[in-house]
Amino acid sequence: MIGPVSRRTLLKGAFAGLGAASLAACSSPVGAGIAGSQLDPGTVDYWNLFGGGDGVRMQSMEDAYRKANPGTPLQAVTLAWGNPYYTKLTLATVGRKPPNVAVSHLTRMKTLQSADLLEELKPEDLARHGMSAEMFNQRAWNAGLVGGKIYAIPIDTHPFVLFYNTKICGQAGLLDAAGALKPIQGPDAFTDALAKVQKVTGQYGATHGINADTATPWRFFQTLYSQLGGQVLSDEGTKVVLDDAKATQVLTFLRSLTVEKKLMPSSIDYQGAIALFANGAAGFHLNGEWEISTFQTAKMPFSMTLVPNVFGGTYAVQADSHTLIVPRGGATAEGQLDLSLGFIKSMLDQSMTWAQGGHIPAWQPVAQSDAFKKLTPQSNYAAAADAAVYDPSGWYSGSGSNFEIVMGSAIGAVEAGQLSPDAAIAQIRSKLSALASTASPV
Amino acid sequence: MTITADYETAEDRPVRPVDPDTTRVTEHGHAKPAWLFLTPFLVLYLLFIIGPSIYMVVMSFFDTSLTRPGLGALAGFGNYGEALTSPDFWASMWHTIWFTILTVPPLVILAFVFALLADRATRGRWFFRLAFFLPYILPSAVMALIWIWLYTPELGLLGKVVTSLGFDEPNWLGDPNLAMWSLAFATVWWTLGFNFVLYLAGLQDIPRDLYEAASMDGASPWQQVRRITIPMLSRTTSLVIVLQIIASLKIFDQPYIMTSGGPNFATRPALEYVYDMGFTNFRTGYAAAVSTLFFILVLAVSAVWVFLTRRQEQGL
Amino acid sequence: MTTLATDTEARRGTRTEVTQASVDRRLKLFNGVCVGVLIAFALMWLVPILWAVDTALKPNAETTKTTWWIDNPTLDSFRTIFAQGDIWNWYASSFITSLATAAGTVLVASMAAFALSRMRFKYRWVVFWFILIGIMIPHQALIVPQFREFSALHLLNTYWAVILPQIPAAIAVFIFKQFFDGLPRDLDEAARVDGAGFFRTYWRIILPLSRPVVSAVAIFTFVWSWNNLLWPLLVLSNPKLMTIPVGLATVQGSYGIRYADTMASAILGALPLVVIFLLFQRRIVEGIAGTGLKG
Repeated sequence: MIGPVSRRTLLKGAFAGLGAASLAACSSPVGAGIAGSQLDPGTVDYWNLFGGGDGVRMQSMEDAYRKANPGTPLQAVTLAWGNPYYTKLTLATVGRKPPNVAVSHLTRMKTLQSADLLEELKPEDLARHGMSAEMFNQRAWNAGLVGGKIYAIPIDTHPFVLFYNTKICGQAGLLDAAGALKPIQGPDAFTDALAKVQKVTGQYGATHGINADTATPWRFFQTLYSQLGGQVLSDEGTKVVLDDAKATQVLTFLRSLTVEKKLMPSSIDYQGAIALFANGAAGFHLNGEWEISTFQTAKMPFSMTLVPNVFGGTYAVQADSHTLIVPRGGATAEGQLDLSLGFIKSMLDQSMTWAQGGHIPAWQPVAQSDAFKKLTPQSNYAAAADAAVYDPSGWYSGSGSNFEIVMGSAIGAVEAGQLSPDAAIAQIRSKLSALASTASPV
Repeated sequence: MTITADYETAEDRPVRPVDPDTTRVTEHGHAKPAWLFLTPFLVLYLLFIIGPSIYMVVMSFFDTSLTRPGLGALAGFGNYGEALTSPDFWASMWHTIWFTILTVPPLVILAFVFALLADRATRGRWFFRLAFFLPYILPSAVMALIWIWLYTPELGLLGKVVTSLGFDEPNWLGDPNLAMWSLAFATVWWTLGFNFVLYLAGLQDIPRDLYEAASMDGASPWQQVRRITIPMLSRTTSLVIVLQIIASLKIFDQPYIMTSGGPNFATRPALEYVYDMGFTNFRTGYAAAVSTLFFILVLAVSAVWVFLTRRQEQGL
Repeated sequence: MTTLATDTEARRGTRTEVTQASVDRRLKLFNGVCVGVLIAFALMWLVPILWAVDTALKPNAETTKTTWWIDNPTLDSFRTIFAQGDIWNWYASSFITSLATAAGTVLVASMAAFALSRMRFKYRWVVFWFILIGIMIPHQALIVPQFREFSALHLLNTYWAVILPQIPAAIAVFIFKQFFDGLPRDLDEAARVDGAGFFRTYWRIILPLSRPVVSAVAIFTFVWSWNNLLWPLLVLSNPKLMTIPVGLATVQGSYGIRYADTMASAILGALPLVVIFLLFQRRIVEGIAGTGLKG
């Protein structure tokens, strides 16, 4: 009995030791966990949803903040993009232990505000840190106001853009003398450009994500649909105002590109669409500008520009903006708000770094600077910030929301050849009216 | 002093207080000390199990919001109506049942087969126990991270195995038609050990002479299994099946971590639907109605289990 | 006649011996095949865990090569996880909540079971059935009302939110009661004669005799509480307070494509439970087997 007992005692001892060590290493959260007290006052707790290239860039911006502010510990947490991020942010705020600063898409921030989960930011506090309304892109700034009050600080606008392979487009005769893409106006010109490129590649003209990707089909649809002047929801999402004629026009056009003319693959996922473009199997790629780093790393000859004004009219393109918000209860400790605002200002000051990730800075001192104006290909599509069409307001709407999922899956199904435009519109109407008729819980 | 081993007479025997200490037995039974012993459990039970059960039903009749205090506007049976006519609700119920169908048979049959094989081993049973039971000890999050890595496109081990056999790599977690199978496969790996141990213990209880007698009569091993082993393990098997069904109905962790209920909600089970409705969409009243429906379903299945075990206890 | 009989017997005797030997050999071969097949399956079963360990020992850059061989084995991913710091908070949170739950459950459930098993009082059977329904109640269905309750009590993001609803486990009461019912009444009688009250009988006599069931309930409750995801996911929303499962499930974004780091965090998250399993293997297996035999 002695042998096994001493082995067990040894293991038990190690076990207890690990327990004690972990307890000792973190008295503060344990105290908070037992007594509900403040967590780490004097630090900045920052949550974001940036993975991939954006994540790396954000980390370097965070490190720059740390270097410049050695006395203020910064704890950054990255959570999975979309609904999981917003659910956790909501739970943390309802659970009275929110982060001090958090990223929020502009289209989601409205819902958070309606749910009373955000702190109002007063102009005098912002002024103390060198921020005021006119220093931001007006379209993004105004879109974030609720009843004239400030709840979010926009840091960028990230539109849907057109990537093009300069070599292939050159061979297709689509570039001008300076090597930039000649402007494309109208559906026929667009189709024509894709066809010319397809002749060069031998496979496809353009690609974008369709399978298991509801965001991209929605963004493409919304861009074209808005160019026709169409809207989807009104009255804070309680009314479905989809224009059947315009929607059919867009869906039919999309279908012609994928199913009928086979200029774009009809069954491809997000990563696959990127890979095809990177490998030269397609000359165009439609996606958000954030994928710029992917193609730069792939060392392929490419540039970016505005998505063409396919349907004429006032130019419009789907976009969203990232903003920084202060959750309710995230600034209760003395001096916490100033620490958080100082962090936000630091992020704005580093907008040039952020812009290198493809985003258009909302912070005008950088957006209007020579350095940014010279930055290509970002400057090619910087005008998108002023033509940005945000997702319609509604408690169930916003980036990565159920609204986008409903729209995107129907549109994607049309592009994949699984649904006719009429069937898709019927599906959209039925699902959206179910959502629209549900009483808003916020 | 006579020591009675007969319980009935011991309980029926009238007891008299030996001294006035109130913790002693009185003629009226042991009410006061009994309640003292029961109170800690009952208080917590009422506050955190029974209370919420009642609150859940109450809340289901209102449009309660996650972020607003109070019960909110009265919805009557509206939430139930919405749930029962909602394709998403029925889809999540179906996903739960489909998951149960995919996992219960392998978890029962494979565990039984492995236990049968292990029973044949005279030494080294510890190795089999370790190999099959170790996964069961892992938290779901650990299991999920390991399998997400195994299922990673291009880089995952499983994809490599498939492509080395000459096939195209399937999109394990990204194909709506395949995702549930992938989750089920990982789950079988994770929880088979529990049933394996149960069956192994049951097998070891079957007297060896039964097998010897049968083999003397010329019965093949397969016949022995069919005629002796399976019937003698019927109690264990019914227990395993019911426990497995109840556990599968409550599935949440694997879909939540590995597919987020996707792609496009293709793997979202009932509990994740509750989570999405109540905590992502802020609609706690509606989520309470769905929870009540789920509660009734699981209660019904559990009642079957309790009925089965009480019946077996009464000696079949 | 006798010669015929003995002749036949003698012949049958030899044939039985020969048949028996070949039957034995066939049986041994059959057993060998069975065990061989099982070994193959057992090895396959170990692959995911072994692969995770293999990945964790690679530098992040090497994880893109899908081979078992490691060019530059390193413990860097483990160092990264420890340096990043969250895992210590998660360990603390898991240890505290699981230990408190296990201790609380054992104490509270055994006391209730003692009352139900050893004491006479008017509403005994009412209470018994009242607790019985608790076994059938799926706790996961209660997450919405429980969340509102703890939100109103301002207990969200505290360990209490995890511990308190986990303690009143009806099944534990039944396991204890079943065991207590099997202990002879004369123990209580003898104690009473010696002047012990109920509590002393419970504490000094019944509990010590119940060591196997106490340790089984304690271990199972600890493991179950440690592995619980859904409820702690809701109530522990700040990464510094999360338990291991919640932390691993939530903060996957930060590791991104650093697969070695992700596997290292998974292994570290599982380590305490693996230790427990190795320590208490026999108890755990007996506990499960007991469940099965009791039906």
